[in-house]
Amino acid sequence: MNKYTFFLKSIFIISLFILLFISSISYKHASSLETSADLLAHSYKIQIQLHQLQSYVKDAETGQRGYIITRDSAFLSPYFNSRSKINKSFASLNNLTINQPELQKNIEQLRKLIDLRFILLLNSLEIMTGSKTDQSLDENMLKGTELMNDIQLKIDQLVYLEKTIFNEHQKKYDHDITFTPLITLISLTFTLIMFILSFIKINKDLIKLMNSNEELLISTESIKHAEIIGEFCISIWNINTNKLIYSDNLYRLLGCEPNSFKPSVKNYLKFVHPDDRHIVANGVDKLLKKHDTYTRLYRVIRQDGQVRFFRSIGKFIENHGQSTHIGVIQDITPEHINNSTLQEKNRELELSNQELSSFNQIASHDLQEPLRKIQTFISLIKESELSGMSKSDIEYFDRIQNSVTRMRKLIDDLLLFSRTNKTDKIFEESDLNVLLKNTLLELSEEIEEKGAHIESAQLPVLKVIPFQIQQLFKNLINNSLKYSKISGEQMIKIGCEKIAAKDYPILNMESEKKYYKITVADSGQGFEQQYAEQIFTIFKRLHTSDEYPGTGIGLSICKRIVENHSGFIFAEGKSGIGATFSIFFPAE
Amino acid sequence: MQNDSIYVLLADDDEDDRLFFKVAFESIKIKTLVKTVNDGVELMNYLVDNQNKLPHILFLDLNMPFKSGMECLQEIKKIDYLKDVAIAIYSTSASEQEIEDAFVNGANVYIKKPHDFTTLKKFLEEVITINWHYLTSGLNRDCFLLSL
Repeated sequence: MNKYTFFLKSIFIISLFILLFISSISYKHASSLETSADLLAHSYKIQIQLHQLQSYVKDAETGQRGYIITRDSAFLSPYFNSRSKINKSFASLNNLTINQPELQKNIEQLRKLIDLRFILLLNSLEIMTGSKTDQSLDENMLKGTELMNDIQLKIDQLVYLEKTIFNEHQKKYDHDITFTPLITLISLTFTLIMFILSFIKINKDLIKLMNSNEELLISTESIKHAEIIGEFCISIWNINTNKLIYSDNLYRLLGCEPNSFKPSVKNYLKFVHPDDRHIVANGVDKLLKKHDTYTRLYRVIRQDGQVRFFRSIGKFIENHGQSTHIGVIQDITPEHINNSTLQEKNRELELSNQELSSFNQIASHDLQEPLRKIQTFISLIKESELSGMSKSDIEYFDRIQNSVTRMRKLIDDLLLFSRTNKTDKIFEESDLNVLLKNTLLELSEEIEEKGAHIESAQLPVLKVIPFQIQQLFKNLINNSLKYSKISGEQMIKIGCEKIAAKDYPILNMESEKKYYKITVADSGQGFEQQYAEQIFTIFKRLHTSDEYPGTGIGLSICKRIVENHSGFIFAEGKSGIGATFSIFFPAE
Repeated sequence: MQNDSIYVLLADDDEDDRLFFKVAFESIKIKTLVKTVNDGVELMNYLVDNQNKLPHILFLDLNMPFKSGMECLQEIKKIDYLKDVAIAIYSTSASEQEIEDAFVNGANVYIKKPHDFTTLKKFLEEVITINWHYLTSGLNRDCFLLSL
């Protein structure tokens, strides 16, 4: 903008100088014209005077000639008058040629010639009157005629001289005058172009200014609306001038009419909750020292007595040497209430988690203890009293033993299930192939017993909780082993492929997100597809304990582990043919 | 007191466990003398009393009131004339952390209380016939937890 102003100023200064230049040239031109006219007039005056001189001399001569012929003395009056007229003419000629020495010299010569002529005229008169006898009239007259010719010659010479001088002057002025209009025209054209250019530029900028003005207006209006919608307001405090501006919404947030009080910290503090005033007051002190963004939370009491929670965020901005403090104040009452509720809920949740954890402790130790003792006592009795017991007694003891064993297994599994969460668990980059290998090693006895054949594809390296994934493999393979067909070889195939989420409607995702799909497929007894979802529910079993021992927790643990890893698990079954478990783990 | 019998001391707060322990030793063919104390405090009082004979093997339950088995273990290892007593940890729980702590603090063997009497007998028999020199000389972490 400054550059632009400088440009405009330059144009105007240049134009001003050009105009001044044109004026001075025009003035010079005009004065040249005047001088030239004066010169012309002067030249004519000289010529007139010279011609008059000639005619005066001729008048005197004519008059005398008339007198000589008629002897009438009346003819002599021009002769007598001409003398004084001639003198007058010479006086004015002298005045006119005051700066022209060459002319004056010639004029002086002319005067002498004229004086001589008059002497001759006087002589003629004297001859006429007879006072002079030594000269004849004819001779005198002849001389006079010769002299008259000389005078005529002199005057012509003078006129010629004057004309020459005049022409020289005239030539010089003509030269000056010829170029003046051209220069003026060029300068004027240039100035005109400059003005037109400036006008175009100014006009363009004006349009731009109008547009930005309009934008500014829209933006100001938008901010006003935004303030009302977002329940916030703005305060602008110029530190240099100590001028404070509050936006209209500040008054509204305080339950007042806009501009109902003078913007000042003191007036604002009146609305702040008495217990929180120190926050705002101290804040003002502090923000004068520091130039950081700061946040303050405090309560205000609105005009209508309602208590609201405000959050103000402020920062100092240095702009054009002015230090301005911009503050954004927001009514966060709903947010604050939500937060408090959330915190309360969180506390409850933490408490409940603690309870759960102490329940785990109870389950793992205190519930196990009596069971262990029952088992030990039974085995003690069986060892010492076996011989004295009836057959049915022994059977009952066996049944007690089985129940206790089952109870222990239930507690163990339940404990495992409740511990399968992700709090405090560490995710590490793990090779799933290694985890699977460990699992197979752990289950080698069962695999051998069932004569199962296991095939595995290459598995990825993922960021997982390793022991949970191992548990997942263990439970799934165990499941396959348990429900293998009574006769025939059991096949367990572990497959893996990278897929896009959108290609699997079962995931219910439209995204391009990539997943690893790991499948555990067996050729066992399978199950009816209608139970595919139920099998993941805790304690849900498709067989009785007598057929297949189990607690109904294993697959629930699988589901929980997969969910801990932000994945999905699905089961597909065909009764008598086999079951396939599909696990989807996020690829990233 | 017979000189040729092995003197075994058990510190356990659980009455039933003390009973199992005594019955188990009674049914073992090896000659043993079994004494039990009810908690850690009683154990320490017994051990520091010069008039009492030191046991050949001390069985130590970890979870006891007043003074836990781990605290007793640490104290015993600080007392010069007690630190050579062979110590077998005899506990219900056997978490990795507890096994590690017991090993670091100088226990010789770790037994998880079994669920049947026959196994208990086998464990105890194993412990008292163990080559203690082998167990005490080299710190062998791998066979620290006793299993059959």
